Amino acid sequence: MSNKVAIIASNGGLFDAYKVFNIATAAAATEKEVAIFFTFEGLNLIHKQAMQQLPMPAGKEHFAEGFAKANVPSIPQLVEMAQEMGVKFIGCQMTMDVMNLTKEDFIDGIEVGGAVTFLEFAKDAAPTLTF
Amino acid sequence: MSIKADVQLDCKGLACPMPIVKTKKAMNDVEDGQILEVQATDKGSIADLKAWSDSVGHQYIGTKEEDGVLLHYIRKSGDDHNVEQKYENTITNEELIDRATNGGIILDVREEAEYAFGHIEGSKSIPMGELENRLEELDKDQEIFVICRTGTRSDLAAQKLAEKGFTKVVNVLPGMSSWNGDLAKKL
Repeated sequence: MSNKVAIIASNGGLFDAYKVFNIATAAAATEKEVAIFFTFEGLNLIHKQAMQQLPMPAGKEHFAEGFAKANVPSIPQLVEMAQEMGVKFIGCQMTMDVMNLTKEDFIDGIEVGGAVTFLEFAKDAAPTLTF
Repeated sequence: MSIKADVQLDCKGLACPMPIVKTKKAMNDVEDGQILEVQATDKGSIADLKAWSDSVGHQYIGTKEEDGVLLHYIRKSGDDHNVEQKYENTITNEELIDRATNGGIILDVREEAEYAFGHIEGSKSIPMGELENRLEELDKDQEIFVICRTGTRSDLAAQKLAEKGFTKVVNVLPGMSSWNGDLAKKL
């Protein structure tokens, strides 16, 4: 059985962030080796400023209250926990070039790589998830 | 009644995935064979902690609800390692029923939490770790059928009893993990 979980994060909203980081932290807590490849808008999830206030989908802003009531951890908290548990973050070099971003625009501890970096990790991962 | 646990973890009010993340961390401070009690209000934690335990290799014992709080009981590394059983006088689960009704007693040496979530009606609970200090509760003239989950702890217990001068001791194999009869609970 594979002990790896590979995740592609390609969207940059708050809901997307929860899907990505909840699965990632739960997998890491279950002693899986986890890597997340952040590409296109997914880069928002680890961008120093953007991650602090990720947008809700239009018309769904009222969920903010539900998040508070359910005592859901904030995205920066989940990110910190994921990193503490050894989840590997890979930023997509090509997207960063297109968006004119450098490694310094992102939280500490990320790797930057191309598609092959992710594919190499994901080749024997099960499951591979895309958000 | 409350169930004895070696370590307690408060996850009340926390949403997924926090109960799992905190349980994983807390387990580092629990010794093999000890019981962790996870207190949670997240209803998803029932299915999650069971799946997590199975996946990581701990023994999920059960969950009970008390005043709106879910109390989950997990025994660390529940897989008793494949230790060779040394005590020679053994019987099978199937033989136990007939034999025990003839005046013997069934001694369940699993942890109190494991006993609480399912044991053989009429069996006596003395966890392995307490056996040495509770020998006076047992009768040397009575047949004692020692049982645990997989036969490993009961093997050790049977050896211990023999060492202490109990001569009518029998180890029951394979034990509660494959018990097909009725189960009594004490929750």
